[in-house]
Amino acid sequence: MEKFLKDRMNLIKTIKSIVRSDKTIDDIKKDHELLECKNCQGKYTYKKLKDNYFVCPGCGDHKYIGAYERIEITCDEGSFKEMHKGIKGFDPLQFPEYKKKIKDARKNAKLNEAVVIGTCKIKGKKAFICVMDNRFMMASMGMAVGEKIAKGIEFARKKNLPLIIFSTSGGARMQEGIVSLMQMAKTSAALSKFSESGNLYISVLTHPTTGGVTASFASLGDIQIGERGSLIGFTGPRVISQTIGEELPEGFQSAEFLYEKGFLDMVLERKNIRGVLGRLLELHLNKGKIEISSVKSEAKELADDEMEAYKRVELARASDRPTSKDYIDSLIDDFVELSGDRLFGEDYSIVGGVGKFKGVSVTVIGHRKGKSLDENLKCRFGMPNPEGYRKARRLMLQAEKFNRPIITFVDTPGAYPGKEAEERGQGSAIAECLLTLSGLTVPVVNIFIGEGGSGGALAIGFGDSMIMMENSIFSILSPEGFASILWKDAKRWKEACEDMKLTAYSMKSLGVCDYVIEEAAGEGLSSKVVKDLEKTVAYELSLLMKQKKSELVNNRYKRLKNIGKDLT
Amino acid sequence: MLKKVLVANRGEIALRIIRECKDNNIETVSVYSTEDKESLHVLMANKSVCIGPPSPNESYLNKEALIQVALATGCDSIHPGFGFLSESADFSQMCEDNNIIFIGPKADVIDKMGNKSEARRTMIEAGVPVVKGSEGTVNCVLDAKNIAKDIGLPILIKASAGGGGRGMRIVREEEDIEKLFFEAKSEAEAAFGDGSLYIEKLIENPKHIEVQVLADNHGNIIHLGERNCSIQRKNQKLLEEAPAFCLSNSTKDNLYEAAVMAARSANYRGAGTIEFVVDEKENFYFIEMNTRIQVEHPVTEMITGVNIVKEQLRIASNLPISVKQEEVKMEGYAIECRICAENPSENFRPSPGTIEFLHLPCGNDVRVETGVYNGCNISPYYDSMIAKIIVHDSTRIKAVRKMRRALEEMVVRGIDTNIALQHVILYNKEFLRGHYNTSFMDSQLEDMLKLLNTAKDIRELEM
Repeated sequence: MEKFLKDRMNLIKTIKSIVRSDKTIDDIKKDHELLECKNCQGKYTYKKLKDNYFVCPGCGDHKYIGAYERIEITCDEGSFKEMHKGIKGFDPLQFPEYKKKIKDARKNAKLNEAVVIGTCKIKGKKAFICVMDNRFMMASMGMAVGEKIAKGIEFARKKNLPLIIFSTSGGARMQEGIVSLMQMAKTSAALSKFSESGNLYISVLTHPTTGGVTASFASLGDIQIGERGSLIGFTGPRVISQTIGEELPEGFQSAEFLYEKGFLDMVLERKNIRGVLGRLLELHLNKGKIEISSVKSEAKELADDEMEAYKRVELARASDRPTSKDYIDSLIDDFVELSGDRLFGEDYSIVGGVGKFKGVSVTVIGHRKGKSLDENLKCRFGMPNPEGYRKARRLMLQAEKFNRPIITFVDTPGAYPGKEAEERGQGSAIAECLLTLSGLTVPVVNIFIGEGGSGGALAIGFGDSMIMMENSIFSILSPEGFASILWKDAKRWKEACEDMKLTAYSMKSLGVCDYVIEEAAGEGLSSKVVKDLEKTVAYELSLLMKQKKSELVNNRYKRLKNIGKDLT
Repeated sequence: MLKKVLVANRGEIALRIIRECKDNNIETVSVYSTEDKESLHVLMANKSVCIGPPSPNESYLNKEALIQVALATGCDSIHPGFGFLSESADFSQMCEDNNIIFIGPKADVIDKMGNKSEARRTMIEAGVPVVKGSEGTVNCVLDAKNIAKDIGLPILIKASAGGGGRGMRIVREEEDIEKLFFEAKSEAEAAFGDGSLYIEKLIENPKHIEVQVLADNHGNIIHLGERNCSIQRKNQKLLEEAPAFCLSNSTKDNLYEAAVMAARSANYRGAGTIEFVVDEKENFYFIEMNTRIQVEHPVTEMITGVNIVKEQLRIASNLPISVKQEEVKMEGYAIECRICAENPSENFRPSPGTIEFLHLPCGNDVRVETGVYNGCNISPYYDSMIAKIIVHDSTRIKAVRKMRRALEEMVVRGIDTNIALQHVILYNKEFLRGHYNTSFMDSQLEDMLKLLNTAKDIRELEM
């Protein structure tokens, strides 16, 4: 009886919800159509799937979605205004059956072509969006796709709108031959002009993105996002496998694989993409227009060093010392981590990304040390490989492009002394960083938070203002190495510490460092320390951001020239 | 006042009459078929007499048996309710012949109003607007064609003796007149033994508006306002409301005047209903007079406060109507929903069986007229209506809300009902606007059923 009554109440409730909904009954029916997941055989309604961003609620399998569904789950409701809906290609090669195939595709996919473009808002921020739809001939890039994307890029450039492209494609469209192939060059050319205009392009690669699309616009984003589980590659896995006569490992050419190889900034679950896009758009809004408001530094002149240098070294190396992550959490709002060197791999020992410092977008680059053994193994105790430095350099150039200041956090025993590191050009990677840092026309503030070990630290450790935490160090090499080279006795490292003049106070008196921030010993990052540091950074940035670009570069060079001048 | 009434009916209307008699200290005698021996009307009357087997022809329509029971039990009157013998001139005459008061009009009045062409003629003479058409019966195709030319197509060819759509044809094209005329004629002959036909102009998608009248033996004729009964399916009303939200006051006044004129010209006695069709421009036309109490009479009772069944008893007792026209005040809105044992999703298939659990709605200004109870049996032999829910409130939307609430409260387990469909009607936009006409169910049913079935599917999924 209870069940009978409950059923009845449910029916009434359901009737009311239908009656009150703005949707047609057919839409509601569709919402409640029962579907089965091919991956896990779980059953759920269309609505449940849709509410879960077309990701199986059971196993997390990301289902194919069409362009309009993608727009629906990505853009603010009702904000999308489609453009160039009518653009259609023709049959340039008079290819057999092509006309019919296109006609069928139009009918089945209810689209004119395999991409939908237009303006939209995401989390209140305007953007131009292109979304490919693989129900239309596997979203292959024919002339119409290329033309629509190029037109979209041009429009975004003229209107100074950020550009977002959701890619999915089987590659070039065979039936259009060389006309299709040339779309790769055309879209890339359009992006070249777009990039020059200083506007942001975010490329989101979804399942599957292959061939000519991967080898053109989809790989050219300022920020590259891969959707979880997507197949992304140039040559299809079957062709590779047949050519080399080998079975490919599991996960080969997955988004996660590409991330590990340094080609993606991040891999996101579908449900998180909208949120991250919104944050990235927000972070790229103020193109150097806003100045940091705080102008007064209360960082006081500190008394001379009273602690023995080796003790400072011990403190700098302490396992419970705050890491870059702690500093980022305390100083930077809405930090979005960006990854990969776009060449070889992602190096966890360098952390980089964008965030807001006192409301101003900044690029953050730091050495990463771990909090646990596992994490420390992953980041090699904060010793970067060349990939890490190349990522750092990439992010420096991005900061330059989007005209935002850079804050670095220095904390490394040194660059990683490994065989592979040498093979991949550790020295060259560091040198490129120094060259790039020297020429940047945006302010660079360096904060030494722990160990400042040699060239590996310097690679992200000089700029326009150097701030050292009281117990941080900066040295030509490790005290142990120093003792072993000069005295053939690594055990004399404590002695070396004193002689090397590596403490923050020493740096200050040597004119290398501008500020020493007093630490509260053993308390980690206390709010007072954070406040002092924040004020100092704000003061420095506010002054630096007033300088002309050429002035900034010249002054930075002057600073370097002045080091050691007093000593001679 | 009457002393003892034989209630020649069953179901909720029998109970409505028995209850009224009890309230007025009048004894009642129920009659029942063997099928109905456990019915509430059998249990509630002072005396009950079985009058035959389940089939209505052998029980509730058995005039001789009813007269005999009335005589044997000492009844001074018979209330026929609605349906069954309520509009049988014969039965009215038999009552009179046996010195039993038939609670309704005399045989000749029933006869006159029952014959459609004659009723029509009476109304024309009285100056009541009728749909344009033939004066009296049409005997040949040539006449039919001339009339069609005169009043314009489309037209309706109807059997004079007809009802329920038999012997009726709609003609839209001139060349079809001949064929359809003969079809209607032979169908009428077969159905009623009377092939006479008449012709009316077809008013498409009209509103069905009816006016309740009361007439006593002292020359008083009053009306109790109108009811909108346009929500019908196959000429079966589902939901009625009073007053008609869609009509202007001047049209209403004209309707009332016409209704009273119609009752007067028919020399009517008792409670009756004048039915009109009203077109989009609020032109109205008499269609027929129902010479009996009607299913939907409670909505009129709710807005006027006049107890129509009680007035029937008074009039039959030769007493004057208890209110004067100027004392009749119409207040607020009333809606009635007919609850039937049927499944709307399966083409309204009747759903007889045992009611395993019943909960009736309650609350202020919620009225339930029913003869069912927990554990009772719904017979396949009789009409499927099991209850009427009537609500009253100060405005139409408040009444609608109250009805929704009442229907949500009502629980019937064991048989299918149309409660959910009625509930959906109360959310229908056309209905809520209030300007719906008799095409409502035809145009909205599919969508409403779709909604209902979708809701059922969703509920099942979510379980």
